[in-house]
Amino acid sequence: MSSAQRSGRDGAVAITGLGAVSGYGEGTAALWAGLASGAAAIGPFRRFEHAKFRTQLASEVRAAPSQKGGRRSSIADRFALGAAREALAQAGLPSRLDDLGCGIYFGSSTGGMFESESYFADLLGQPHRASGIGRLTAQPTCSPGESVARAHGVHGPVQTVASACASATLAMGIALAALRAGEIEIALAGGSDSLCRLTYAGFNSLRAVDPKACRPFRSEREGMSIGEGAAVLVLESAVSAAARGARILGWLLGAGASCDAHHMTAPDPQGAGIARAVAAALADSGLAATDIDFVNVHGTGTPHNDAAEAGMLRSIFGDRLPALPLTSTKGAIGHYLGAAGAIEAVATLLCLLHGVVHPTPGEGTVDPALGLDLVTGSPRALPGARFALSTNLAFGGTNAAVILGAEPA
Amino acid sequence: MSPLTDADRITPDLLLRLKRLIVATLHIEGLDPEAIGDDQPLFGEGLGLDSIDALELVVAIEREFVVAIPEGKVDHDVFRSVRTLALWIAERVAQRAPGSAS
Repeated sequence: MSSAQRSGRDGAVAITGLGAVSGYGEGTAALWAGLASGAAAIGPFRRFEHAKFRTQLASEVRAAPSQKGGRRSSIADRFALGAAREALAQAGLPSRLDDLGCGIYFGSSTGGMFESESYFADLLGQPHRASGIGRLTAQPTCSPGESVARAHGVHGPVQTVASACASATLAMGIALAALRAGEIEIALAGGSDSLCRLTYAGFNSLRAVDPKACRPFRSEREGMSIGEGAAVLVLESAVSAAARGARILGWLLGAGASCDAHHMTAPDPQGAGIARAVAAALADSGLAATDIDFVNVHGTGTPHNDAAEAGMLRSIFGDRLPALPLTSTKGAIGHYLGAAGAIEAVATLLCLLHGVVHPTPGEGTVDPALGLDLVTGSPRALPGARFALSTNLAFGGTNAAVILGAEPA
Repeated sequence: MSPLTDADRITPDLLLRLKRLIVATLHIEGLDPEAIGDDQPLFGEGLGLDSIDALELVVAIEREFVVAIPEGKVDHDVFRSVRTLALWIAERVAQRAPGSAS
């Protein structure tokens, strides 16, 4: 890999705006302060009655999102609107994007499922009296992205990926391809999901939820913690960013995807599937594994996921692995499911901007069998870090990876 | 005895009851029911309701006033304003009241 290739940014797109709504509150400043604190935003939650579930914790966005949207906006819609508004403001873009050649590429697992559940719960309780059928209108998984389109006048392609926990990462890859192809000038890439009974009960039924706050890569890990929130990244060509005089925060350099074709829920035990996605992302970005300074791993905290990811990391990074800093944003804010790739890309870019890797909260000791250099406790300075890998694995075997670069590259 | 006129049937109580029903049914945050004008258009530029609101409103009115609203009546004659709704409801209620043979 020549340095000319690395600095050339051929095929890279600029990241000019970030927005987030997370368990730490509204905004990327709150997200970064929380991530840097090393204290997880995972605890008791109030969104719905859950006393009879086998676990009692989640990462909940406590304050009502200030961005209300329409009367029938779901919580997930409002998370998306809040994140998009912040990202557009940071990018110096107007609130209305009507003629700017903009597209939206989003991930979501459950859209307005929480609101639909509430309607049907009322209907079951009072079969002839239930009201509020309008609560069903935000049900589609495409609702958060389309809410953003309506709010900001986005008339280009508006697409939502619904491939479970790889959704937002795949969406970023689609946005990258559309920008490279010149189909659009600006992309809002992101995702949004809210806590709901379906995913909380579903992952509990699968015994995939840790009764304690999740403990990624620890010997004691017993599963994930479910979280909620949204993140949006403004992506655009270097030409577009320069023409607008926008501040470039970093770069989306490449994306890759693959499928295990192995099992409905379990990952390929050796991580061969996610390794193919990572290799594709590296090739797409023109980088070698040796260029990667740290990895924001999927790191759900389930025994199977973390072991499979360790297998992937060994196969990609080889002898470098024991000294390669790793972090899992999920240890801090839980698993955002369809939005996970977006909030984790934002967290990864914030690490690059600050020159530190945020720690991965979680009780216990890092699993010695995995042979990993997990950043724990407090942020680890990594001055001069230029390239980071972020990975996501989904139920169904879909894998996705993106590579982010610091500015200047 | 002279027949009841429209104005006689539409009492202030009925108008206010309808306004409260609209706000409660449609969860319109921050709107004082009394701030809805009797003749303010319900849809479009007026109160800003849409077809899903109409659906919810039909169900709520049928329950509240024990009337059946035929599909064809969910139009801009009956659903134009609180006053037109009140008139239509008042007529239905009057027709089924005992001794109101007409």
